[in-house]
Amino acid sequence: MKPRILVLKADGTNCDEELAFAFKIAGGIPKIIHINDLRSKKENFKNYNILAIPGGFAYGDDIASGKILAGELTSFFSEELKKFIKRKDTLTIGICNGFQVLVRTGLLPFGTIGKMQATLTDNDSGHFECRWINLRIDKNNSCVFLKDLEDQIISYQVAHGEGKFFANNKTLKTIEQSGLVVFRYIDKKGKPTKNYPENPNGSLNAIAGICDPTGRIIGLMPHPERFIFKEHYPNWRRQKIDRPQGLSIFKSMISYIKEVL
Amino acid sequence: MIQTVRVSYLSEKKDSYKIRSARVYRLEGIKKKDAEILAQKLFCEPINQVYSLNRPLIKNTSQKVEIAYRPGVMNPEAASIIKSAKDMGIELLAADSSWEYYFFEKISEDEIHERVRKLNLFNETVEYIVKKEPKTLLIRGNVGSTAIVPIRKMTDEELLSLSKDKLFLNLDEMKIVQNYFKKIKRDPTDCELETIAQTWSEHSGHKTFKAKIFVDGKEKTPLIERVKKEALKHNKNIVSAFEDNSGVMDFYEGFAISAKGETHNSPSAIEPYGGAMTGSGGVFRDIVGTGRGGKTLISTDIFCLANPNLPSSKLPSGCLHPKYILKQVVRGVKDYGNRMGIPTNNGSFHFHDDFRAKPTVLVGAYGILPKRYAKKGKPMKGDFIVSIGGRIGRDGIHGATFSSGVMTERTNSVNSQAVQIGNAIEEKRTFDAILEARDRNLISAIQDCGGGGLSSAIGEMGEKTGVTVELKNALLKYQGLSPWEIWLSESQERMILAIPKNRIQEFKKICKKYNVEISVLGKFDGSKKLKVYYSKKLVADLDMKFLHHGLPQRKMIANHSKVIVTRRIAKKNNSLIVSKAQKQWVNIIKKILSHGNVCSKEPIVRLYDHTVQGTNVLSPFSGEEMDGPNDAAVIRPLLDKPYGMVVSHGLNPILNRIDPYWGSIWAATEAISNFTAVGGDYRNASLINNYIWPFPDEESLWSLDQSVDAVVDFMKLLKIPVISGKDSLSSTYKGKNELTIKIPPVLCISVFGKIPDVTKTISSDFKKQNSVICLVGKLDIKGMAGSAYFEVLNRNMATEQFNNIPHVDLKLLPKTLNTIYRGIQTGKILSCHDVSEGGLITAVFEMCVGGNFGAEIYLGRLMGNRADYILFNETAGCFIVEVQNEKIAKKIFKDIPYFILGKTKKEKNITVKKKNETLFRENLEILKKVWQKPMKEIFN
Repeated sequence: MKPRILVLKADGTNCDEELAFAFKIAGGIPKIIHINDLRSKKENFKNYNILAIPGGFAYGDDIASGKILAGELTSFFSEELKKFIKRKDTLTIGICNGFQVLVRTGLLPFGTIGKMQATLTDNDSGHFECRWINLRIDKNNSCVFLKDLEDQIISYQVAHGEGKFFANNKTLKTIEQSGLVVFRYIDKKGKPTKNYPENPNGSLNAIAGICDPTGRIIGLMPHPERFIFKEHYPNWRRQKIDRPQGLSIFKSMISYIKEVL
Repeated sequence: MIQTVRVSYLSEKKDSYKIRSARVYRLEGIKKKDAEILAQKLFCEPINQVYSLNRPLIKNTSQKVEIAYRPGVMNPEAASIIKSAKDMGIELLAADSSWEYYFFEKISEDEIHERVRKLNLFNETVEYIVKKEPKTLLIRGNVGSTAIVPIRKMTDEELLSLSKDKLFLNLDEMKIVQNYFKKIKRDPTDCELETIAQTWSEHSGHKTFKAKIFVDGKEKTPLIERVKKEALKHNKNIVSAFEDNSGVMDFYEGFAISAKGETHNSPSAIEPYGGAMTGSGGVFRDIVGTGRGGKTLISTDIFCLANPNLPSSKLPSGCLHPKYILKQVVRGVKDYGNRMGIPTNNGSFHFHDDFRAKPTVLVGAYGILPKRYAKKGKPMKGDFIVSIGGRIGRDGIHGATFSSGVMTERTNSVNSQAVQIGNAIEEKRTFDAILEARDRNLISAIQDCGGGGLSSAIGEMGEKTGVTVELKNALLKYQGLSPWEIWLSESQERMILAIPKNRIQEFKKICKKYNVEISVLGKFDGSKKLKVYYSKKLVADLDMKFLHHGLPQRKMIANHSKVIVTRRIAKKNNSLIVSKAQKQWVNIIKKILSHGNVCSKEPIVRLYDHTVQGTNVLSPFSGEEMDGPNDAAVIRPLLDKPYGMVVSHGLNPILNRIDPYWGSIWAATEAISNFTAVGGDYRNASLINNYIWPFPDEESLWSLDQSVDAVVDFMKLLKIPVISGKDSLSSTYKGKNELTIKIPPVLCISVFGKIPDVTKTISSDFKKQNSVICLVGKLDIKGMAGSAYFEVLNRNMATEQFNNIPHVDLKLLPKTLNTIYRGIQTGKILSCHDVSEGGLITAVFEMCVGGNFGAEIYLGRLMGNRADYILFNETAGCFIVEVQNEKIAKKIFKDIPYFILGKTKKEKNITVKKKNETLFRENLEILKKVWQKPMKEIFN
């Protein structure tokens, strides 16, 4: 059975089509669903295996990035979301604006819906940044579907103005100790870095993406769905590209669900 | 009572001042305890913020200033606050947000105000300094009445004074209006006059392009006729040309692609941030408003400005500083395009101090739609007139008529109301709804509410059928608008649709799903009249025939300037020659590389999301460090297919001014060369022309005529059509003391086309070491006028004393383009870059940057006496090409002129040799720093 993916859309979501496409190429059945169709009960989380929150500017990122959509999710879907994330045959991913939404609902880092414990705030540079950066997938991270990719270096594109991961020392320590960091910005030598532009936003501990303690909810600022073909990479004409590095993530998610189902 | 929540924002340093800032949220219609809930749950994130309720955030400073949108200017955030509060069960009557800044030194109020202006924290056109806390956020007002204007008994003088600053019609046109009302024996309402003025404005009516034209005493075919006639001869790919909001050409598998270029110069001169935003919003909407609904795929941005380091003393009164304009237009494009999710992945900047009075801001948009919906829709008798999207406000009134007028020093104060603040999210959800409705075949026709608001949209759509409109049904931002204001106000985020009566419920459901507001304004009724009511009272009643055909064709005279400008021809051995010293060469090259037109624009491109939608297959920058610039954008519009769309453009205002014919040929050639350099097939390309010209007096009309002839000849030459275009003939500034500035005329040619396979495209970065670098094409080395080289040598614009600009060898051009295309298709050409501003050495340098290689160039027999002319000549239609070895070069370029320049090198130096003698050698990294510095300084 092919896993079904709910690609969530709200006013201002704008990476939904390419994200749905990535899941399709990876072997899933994606459907772009407007949040109003969930509110009107026309659609329901329970019919899906993967909840994917795409990039964009949900409700204009007014007040703070992802804030209004996070508020809508916690106001109307707390119980449904709790049930959804409890199911062992589900995964949740938030990319860029979707990551901001997950952090503001509290689903990341600790799966505490309604209680925000970390934030993604303005880039240290003070401006939006669209560029390709290098990441390393942390060894021994808790994410359940990335075991095969651990410790690998990958290139993704970032395109955001509010991506600096920030939490207080205690929270940060818990995140690190629980292996919740999945992606880190690295320099040319492959080491996590604070330096602009390799670390495009000044994230603490060079954090680019994290998961929750179950390892089934993940969020990241860079855009894997923009590296589904080798031609997505600006230097495909000069470098040999074995595999489109963004596709791997979606494929891993699909295989994970298939195994569990 | 209003509850006020203040939330601390980042503590920061701006310049050397210590400032703290806070967001201020004003909430009307709720109790304090609800405000407290919102403060905790919505506004403040305790991880890094604190808040206060109904008191200042920082106690120990009185040094603060609050900056808010002026009442009546739409704050897009307000709707989000109301929505989110409602999601939490709290109903607000109204909300607003603003910024508060705190200072920590003892300075006076005046000094604080001065400081926020200096730091660009305050934009007076749309914002104000809050001195007294508002008692209410609701804007109330009484509906203005409809005035009758006694035009029938007006004298000529009175007619002109009625037109000035408001209608922008000339005396002849005013008299035609007067006669019409004399004939029907009544005086017009203000609403009728405004409708006529808008329909007849240059912006909407294109009077000059349609005019009978006499050039140097001889009658010639009207400009628009000339373009159309030639274009329609080359119709193999045309789906729709000159009849819709964008030009549409065939794509693959039942799809069509469309393109449009639009200027937004006048608003950008007054309020560049809002102007650029509405420019972007406006052109995206043209794509969506094509056929029966299209999807916008990418956007391009072209700016012409004065040099950012222009001394303030040289700025004409009423004009903004170019550095400020530059930063603000970039910010506007970024904020609108990024929010819309439309990648901005092609563009350019052109700097010349004569743009100091008015910038040229040109935004392009490109889209896709199924062919079955690609023809312009026709409203059917009985269809509803439906308005969706943004509400109507007082902002956005008089955009069409205003942009058709000459800019004066009074423009900034009199017409400031013509600026709207864009709301990208409103436009985005409106587009989402339109595309779903289109796919369910609910739309008979669609039109935007740009220049002229409901008046232009409904007036145009109903030309054939006639319409009845009830303005009372329109949704307003606030009460207090007069009927004519409702009728005329523009918005980027509002669209008018013709929806069949029996499909309206289905359409309403779609709008509801996307949170899009809808109002049914009336009907296409078959009356052939334009009847507009407000609360059942008739406010306009015009014959469609008079409105659309009552304006007689203008007669216009064009004459070659009688003043003979003494221009020198650059001679072979004049004093411009560079000395033999290597250091001098390097100095000149550094000056060229840091010239505004040549320097790297990477810091700007990084602010734009250029790959959202996942379609991009050639980025603006690529190469080892991803900092080598490419010539065009290539995207894959259908993610699951290999087909490509290639987009590029070309312009050179200075060449246009020196020689309008050959300058225009240059622009078109540059555009098609950019297109070809990445792998585009010129035979499957279409052109878009945008004319941004000074007010068409005899001299400027003469140059416009020349430019149009050039475009027609270019179509003939390559057998490809122009399929859409726009003119904006108001690039003239009139200031105090008879000061008149004619802004350099801009012809921008944009090219878009289709290719069957995106994997057969290339980038400009050198791919290998020791491969062969060739110059392909023929440089016109006598044509040095207008070059960056001449400009850096003679800072005082002495460039224009020479009139020999580079002439493109037109006979050779199709052959060259074809050879490059085939070389790329067969994989023989490894990298390619066209020669343009900064000459061949700049092209080689940029390819080295991308490849992270050096290059060794031998000028050999090419050189003659003038190595400088070879290196810095800017003849369009020439290419720098990398191939594996000389044998390949010989084979693929056998039919066209080419020259082996040298080889790529591992050592990162650029060396230029004249046979064995080294003219100069410089390290690539050093040159790269110089090239990257100017925009880094402005944007980092």
